[in-house]
Amino acid sequence: MIKIDKINTAEALRYMCAADAADPILIQKVEATAAELLKIIKPVYTYKIFPIEFSESGILLSGTSLVLTGKSAREHFSGCHSVIAMAATLSGFADRFIQTAEISDMAKALIADSLCTAAIEQVCDIAESEIMSALPKENYYTWRFSAGYGDLPLDIQPLILRVLNAEKVIGLTINDSLIMLPRKSVTAFIGISDRPIEKKRKGCALCSMCKSCQYRQKGTHC
Amino acid sequence: MTFKELLKNKFVYLDGAMGTMLQRAGLKTGDIPELLNLTSPEVVFDIHKQYINAGSNIIYANTFGANGYKLKSCGHSVAEVIGAGIQNAKKACAGTDTLVALDIGPIGQLLEPTGSLTFEAAYDIFKEQIEAGKAADLIVFETMTDLYEVKAAVLAAKENCDLPIIVTMTFEENHRTFTGCSVSAMALTLQGLGVDAIGINCSLGPKELLPVVEELHKWCKIPMAVKPNAGLPDPATGAYNITKDQFADYVAQMANFGLKIVGGCCGTDPDYIRATIARLENTVATAPQKLLPTALCSYSNTVLVDRPRIIGERINPTGKKLLKEALKNNDINYILNLAISQAQAGADLLDVNVGLPGIDEKEMMKRAVKAVQSVTDLPLQIDSTIPEVLEAGLRVYNGKPLVNSVNGEEESLNKILPIVKKYGAAVLGLALDEGGIPPKAEQRFEIAKKIMERALAIGIPKEDIYIDCLCLTASAQQEAVMETLKAIKMVKDELGLKTVLGVSNISFGLPQRGLVNSTFLTMAMSYGLDLGIINPNIKEMTGAVRAFRLLKGYDKNSVDFIEAYSEVEDAPKPAAASTDMTLDYAIHKGLKEDARRITEKLLETQDSMEVVNGIIVPALDSIGALFEKGKIFLPQLILSAGVAQEAFEVIKKKMIEANNAPVSKGKVILATVKGDIHDIGKNIVKVLLENYGYTVVDLGKDVPYEAVVEAVIEHDAKLVGLSALMTTTLVSMAETIELIRQNQLDCEVVVGGAVLTPDYAKEIGADYYAKDAKETVDIAKKVLG
Repeated sequence: MIKIDKINTAEALRYMCAADAADPILIQKVEATAAELLKIIKPVYTYKIFPIEFSESGILLSGTSLVLTGKSAREHFSGCHSVIAMAATLSGFADRFIQTAEISDMAKALIADSLCTAAIEQVCDIAESEIMSALPKENYYTWRFSAGYGDLPLDIQPLILRVLNAEKVIGLTINDSLIMLPRKSVTAFIGISDRPIEKKRKGCALCSMCKSCQYRQKGTHC
Repeated sequence: MTFKELLKNKFVYLDGAMGTMLQRAGLKTGDIPELLNLTSPEVVFDIHKQYINAGSNIIYANTFGANGYKLKSCGHSVAEVIGAGIQNAKKACAGTDTLVALDIGPIGQLLEPTGSLTFEAAYDIFKEQIEAGKAADLIVFETMTDLYEVKAAVLAAKENCDLPIIVTMTFEENHRTFTGCSVSAMALTLQGLGVDAIGINCSLGPKELLPVVEELHKWCKIPMAVKPNAGLPDPATGAYNITKDQFADYVAQMANFGLKIVGGCCGTDPDYIRATIARLENTVATAPQKLLPTALCSYSNTVLVDRPRIIGERINPTGKKLLKEALKNNDINYILNLAISQAQAGADLLDVNVGLPGIDEKEMMKRAVKAVQSVTDLPLQIDSTIPEVLEAGLRVYNGKPLVNSVNGEEESLNKILPIVKKYGAAVLGLALDEGGIPPKAEQRFEIAKKIMERALAIGIPKEDIYIDCLCLTASAQQEAVMETLKAIKMVKDELGLKTVLGVSNISFGLPQRGLVNSTFLTMAMSYGLDLGIINPNIKEMTGAVRAFRLLKGYDKNSVDFIEAYSEVEDAPKPAAASTDMTLDYAIHKGLKEDARRITEKLLETQDSMEVVNGIIVPALDSIGALFEKGKIFLPQLILSAGVAQEAFEVIKKKMIEANNAPVSKGKVILATVKGDIHDIGKNIVKVLLENYGYTVVDLGKDVPYEAVVEAVIEHDAKLVGLSALMTTTLVSMAETIELIRQNQLDCEVVVGGAVLTPDYAKEIGADYYAKDAKETVDIAKKVLG
């Protein structure tokens, strides 16, 4: 289990499309909800490191049947010899908290939902730095790349969870609609290379929300 | 050899890891290990043989994940895979005394309320495995993290075979499983259900598990089983960090805390088992507990009955118009709000009674128990006079509940006690019988004694028997007050049972009922009352219990009392002074409490509809306009909607009390489509639609296509709202609309959800696309007026 000291409330406000809100009542409610959430969430993560093999069909994680198909993954991991496969979750307590708030206080539910989305990103950041600190300093890394980015299909998620033994190790499952449960969870791959990696921009074209994104409609990005 | 005979040994030895051994034999990470039962039986046979040679008394067949869900697309049936698994193990055991366990792990899907798998569906999945593995000598459920899933599994085993059952769950260093199940809750619930051994496996090494074992020992009357990992794994290499001798040393320490059955989990091999057996040879075993603490629990919260505690009485429709109305309309949210508010007020347990003529009480009890336990972790008291209704509630309860109630009548004893025993609940006995409530304490004591003897005879342990000595109204039978108190003392002192009392009846027909109730409650506690059934939202009642606990020395250093009454930090105060604040202002600023107060005041002088149409609706319109202009944002819109909802509740209450049902502007069916469980957006839409006077029929999430069609027909609805959040579930949205069209229903469809676009909405045949909740209201106005 890892600990977050403070949930990034500014980021959560942005998810609520209320980044510009300076309403003290709202801010107070966000802060109070964040404090409650911090007491109940139990963030955990797990990871494994796999050497990778580039083949015609995609990138194979050695010793598994998992293949990362498509152009996006091929570009993203080009020059890498291994990947870190990771999974993280805030635990079902976050889901229960949001569900309960949906009954008694809808605004609080919306706020909690956004706070949890911010928190799971923080958990991934912390996990990433913990993982890297245990690895040789000379390594170079790509940014986190997940199923559903670009043309990497979402339907490899069940196998990712199996390969990581995620159900047993961190209690993370996935249902038939490819929704991970507990809901506030992430899986991702980080490429490892011996040589500096050209920092590819996290461009909108890779994003599954590209066509419907509110930010893009306003001419900005997230 | 049988499992029962094996238990006569000082220790019983299990096997070590199967997965670790299979990986050593070349199994790929992520592949389904149970298929090897069919494809490479010799590999599995060989592993079993190694463990038998090492000295295991019981080996686990390679059937851990062989369930209908995990094997779904592998081309083999559960019966085939499990059948082959058991056969391999039996073959390996031939000529030895070693027993074969049907090994069953978690399904791999999260159960309700966090997940989408229902309790009943989980039961069916386990049942299939159990029927496929009946040739085994016993059943092991292991690596479980969800007590609810375990309950489904144990019931499936008990109801479909006679094999002995071992359950081991997986705990983390905080002594909880991933789903929050505590050690005590596991022990209380599973011993109640009548399993043969309980314990712990996986996740940690024996060193880290030692304190968990120590805790379990305190709660364990039956043999305890432990299967630790070989320490902790290195994430990079997967190697475990302790040797077989270290493993055996730590396991030997567990013998001081009730260890009886032992083996190894991930990372262990036959050498670990051999070393453990050698090490335990000269170790003395300890006996399990004789008597357990008196306690009730949910999956995560164990409430010790070691001091006066509060049972919240409000989920009971007797004399409550609004709750009756809610039950008739299937409005489960009303019940949930009662649960949440009682929990916040300080209740320790909640009574759940849904008895109302004309409704399907059995179905409602099941729904209510499932829903209430999804929003609070307080243990429940399941309350009905009908055995079938009690059973419906007990079956789906996740923990150890209290049953309210049995009494001294033969029929009641014969029908209720077997159900209590089967589901491992505690039981509340009312001190009355065929002759009614006897006037004298001694007579009630005699009935209590009879109830106790009958419960003990059927195998309900003494610590699970509670008595209600019954309170009569002081205005009618003043002399009976002291008889009740005297009976409480007798039951406590002479029978050694815990006592419960419904208190509020005492003041019936008197003025200042609160005063009488709280005084009587205090008197009862001083006579030994353990659980008062009261309204925790009345400050004087909850306060009396808290003060009593403090004065009697239960609340050490007054910690709980101070925490309950220290001033909560105030929210930023609004600009307007609360005396001259308007309802419009309260709605704009998101001030719920003020809105409630002002609305109540307004209704003294104004007509309900004047308040709605003259103040609330214009306020909502103005907030909607601000939202559209980007002056305020979604959370503020919802905050205001929540305040308006609060004001509506006040109005609705007044109208129902005056026998005036509120007028609806029309019905809207809402559903998050099949396969999708992201329903927060749909719920936001619901709040807003209700604000504007529409009746929302909320079908929930993961709603089958047909259910939407049926609801449209049943309610003759003219507008259906569908939401989906995932690209993978948009297809369900299209299917739902398709089915609506095929049935030629006279209704329009509005769709929404993050990944939807107006173009796609048109493509799948929706009539409207709504970009947000506000726009859905505008569409409802257009369609329904």
